[in-house]
Amino acid sequence: MEPQASPLWTTRTTLDRKTGTWRDAIPDYRTLPSPCLGACPVNGHIADWIGHIRKQEYHAAWLVLMDNNPFPAIAGRICHHPCETACNRQYLDESISICALERFVGDMALAKDWSLPSSDLVKKEKVAVVGAGPAGLSAAYQLRRRGLQVTLFESQNQLGGLMRYGIPAYRLEKRVLDGEIQRILDLGVIVEHRPITTQQQLEQLQNSFDAIYLATGAARSKTLPVLDYAKPWVIDSVEFLATTNANKSHPTGQHLIVIGGGSAAMDVARTARRLGKSVTVLTLEPAGHLPAQHTEVEEALEEGIRFVSGAMLQQVNEQTDGLELTCIEVEFTAGYRKGEFTIKPKSGTAFTLKANAIVPSIGQDANYAIWGESFKAQGPILKTGSDWQTEKKGIFAGGDLASMERFVTHAVGMGKQAAAAIAHYLEGQSPTSDEKTVAAVSIDTINTYYYPQQDRIDQQKLPSRQRLQNFDEVQQPLQEVQADAEAIRCFSCGTCIYCDNCYAYCPDMAITKLEKGYAIKSDYCKGCGLCVAECPTGSIVMQKEYEEITQ
Amino acid sequence: MECIDYQDVDIFHSGHVACAGCVEALSLRVILNIVGQDAVAVVPPSCTAVICGIYPNSALSIPAFHTSLESAAATASGVKRALLAKGKPDTTVLCLAGDGGTYDIGLQSLSSAAERNEDILYICFDNEGYMNTGGQKSSSTPEGAATGSTPLGKTTRKKNLVDIMAAHRVPYITTTSPGHILDMKAKVKKALQIKGTKIIIVLIPCLAGWGVADDAGIKAARMAVDSGIFPLYEVEDGERYTVNQLARTQSVKPYLALQKRYRHISEEQVEQLQIHTDKAWQQLLLRADQQQ
Repeated sequence: MEPQASPLWTTRTTLDRKTGTWRDAIPDYRTLPSPCLGACPVNGHIADWIGHIRKQEYHAAWLVLMDNNPFPAIAGRICHHPCETACNRQYLDESISICALERFVGDMALAKDWSLPSSDLVKKEKVAVVGAGPAGLSAAYQLRRRGLQVTLFESQNQLGGLMRYGIPAYRLEKRVLDGEIQRILDLGVIVEHRPITTQQQLEQLQNSFDAIYLATGAARSKTLPVLDYAKPWVIDSVEFLATTNANKSHPTGQHLIVIGGGSAAMDVARTARRLGKSVTVLTLEPAGHLPAQHTEVEEALEEGIRFVSGAMLQQVNEQTDGLELTCIEVEFTAGYRKGEFTIKPKSGTAFTLKANAIVPSIGQDANYAIWGESFKAQGPILKTGSDWQTEKKGIFAGGDLASMERFVTHAVGMGKQAAAAIAHYLEGQSPTSDEKTVAAVSIDTINTYYYPQQDRIDQQKLPSRQRLQNFDEVQQPLQEVQADAEAIRCFSCGTCIYCDNCYAYCPDMAITKLEKGYAIKSDYCKGCGLCVAECPTGSIVMQKEYEEITQ
Repeated sequence: MECIDYQDVDIFHSGHVACAGCVEALSLRVILNIVGQDAVAVVPPSCTAVICGIYPNSALSIPAFHTSLESAAATASGVKRALLAKGKPDTTVLCLAGDGGTYDIGLQSLSSAAERNEDILYICFDNEGYMNTGGQKSSSTPEGAATGSTPLGKTTRKKNLVDIMAAHRVPYITTTSPGHILDMKAKVKKALQIKGTKIIIVLIPCLAGWGVADDAGIKAARMAVDSGIFPLYEVEDGERYTVNQLARTQSVKPYLALQKRYRHISEEQVEQLQIHTDKAWQQLLLRADQQQ
């Protein structure tokens, strides 16, 4: 109903005057990508699920997380969280504890035993997934949710791949791993425990499946030429982690030298420390530039691990009381591509280290030669197209087999992408491009006036002395009040939070509140842009109208 | 973030002719929303007079009495007494004036209304100049600001109207800003509970007159408050001072830099403005402390 002007004085309201004609641009509500979304290896809608935490809708948050990643409790523990590096909040105070929040939701899902709605087998096609690590499990999960029949082939007794055999329990509790894997199996994924390690075995699969996804990882340790691997005091890092993660003891001496600065080297060093060894880590990279996550190095230092950085092993001498390692300091220059580098020894800087055993942990290679010559190499990895399809039609690959990124969540993201590509392939469609074309919301479009400075809430760590007693998790989870408080810090970049600022700050009453969202009254909007300026999430943009007319 | 929780009650209407982005229109919207339907507005010549509209259209669906520039408070006194005589004591009478009609031309009628403690709510939309006649200076224009009649910048300081009216011992005088809607809402509500002369001075960054972008009116108002140039405070019965925002989070410099009316001023003048602002701020805090 049109409001009435007072009949005593006037006859009409100003609603007769359409001030919208003054305007040359009109506000437009959009859902725009946040910087964290662009950085996320699984393209998770972070602003969206944190928004649910803010409203204490934890189950809804979990469902959003599960869309892109079946492992929120795992990723919340071990993800290298590039989202936090990209977070716009860092320009005000500190980035959001996204990873800890993800773990909070993931843990709640496990504690409350939340399950996913079952997916009917709506498609007749069958897909084989070879390798039940992060990439393979993620692909199996996404394919199964699309209604395809999925069989997972795994050569080990248990599923999880690197997450089970590589990552120690103090970073990722086995209970969590088992819980999140079981949820995938409960969807109706068939598991066969047998290796697919020959050309013949692969060809058999091709006969009985419509598509194959290879995700066998990279389990072959790279070797150092100066080391004689036949010696008993050279210990393979993959094997060391696998045996200790399976609660079996591994014969080593008291003084260990771990060579390498990546996550795997940290895992070896910190595991050995928990077994009561004294550990020195030798890295080519200078201190502060190790490829391992910053927190891993920090925690390793807290646990009494000694670092010798920016140096290289030259020679090992066996002596009666152990080994003497001759090392030399080096100048390290990172290469253009990940994993590439050049080193220059600095003359006259040689020094020696003492040890009983050496664990080289300098990276792993993928092995795809086992499946025959038709698989081509692309540098150190298996060659795939942009849709993760190999040179062989219908065979796709991912994870460490087809990427040098070497992060668990990256593998999960690859599995998700490959699942989409496989589904397209089976439907006879060409792959569609990903959604990353719109620029992420920049800090300039966030009105930070609405966010008072507030310290970031981090997870607590176990005291280092206590950590060395056992393999208990180092990072302690956030409490519910902490998670809620941290979620409030999120700018929700590019995702409307229905705060009504645009409505309340309009000088022309040109915005209508809808049941969910808002509408612009184009009759009256003068195009001033105040709603855009006062939007705390950057999810309104001014749209020039003459552009639309010329189209 | 704190949400505003705001719902229009259709007293102020779209189609008014305030400039695009005008935060005076926004303030009118918020204030009228709280004052409600049972009210009579008295409007001297000002931007508000223009925004209210040209006969027979009105942006307001409460009666608006357009009076002369010097007599807003006197007219409001008369309207209030007439309503009392007609047996309508609860109807709010509010003046919607500019700084020209308050600090300058309407000051004597406001002074005598305040002295009589007339039961009126006097709103001054303070845009620091005669902005709808082309931007001449008023006694509210701050030092340094260029206007049509002070092209090199005003040489004297802004008149302190709060102190003048506090000296009249009005029951309630306060400052607020469109960048602080929650504060504005609370103060209008509080004023409606008080009998006698209530004065609310609303800082209105004038987009055209100050040289501020169409979408930056709110930002300018907040910077004025955050720098301490325009503190948010209340004075009750001429003696009880309360400062509503105690934190000054920035210097005056970014506030000045936002506006074209200050673009000619030198570093020394900026320094001078900072010193004056600091001193006024300290005096205000002292007054707020003394009565505790």
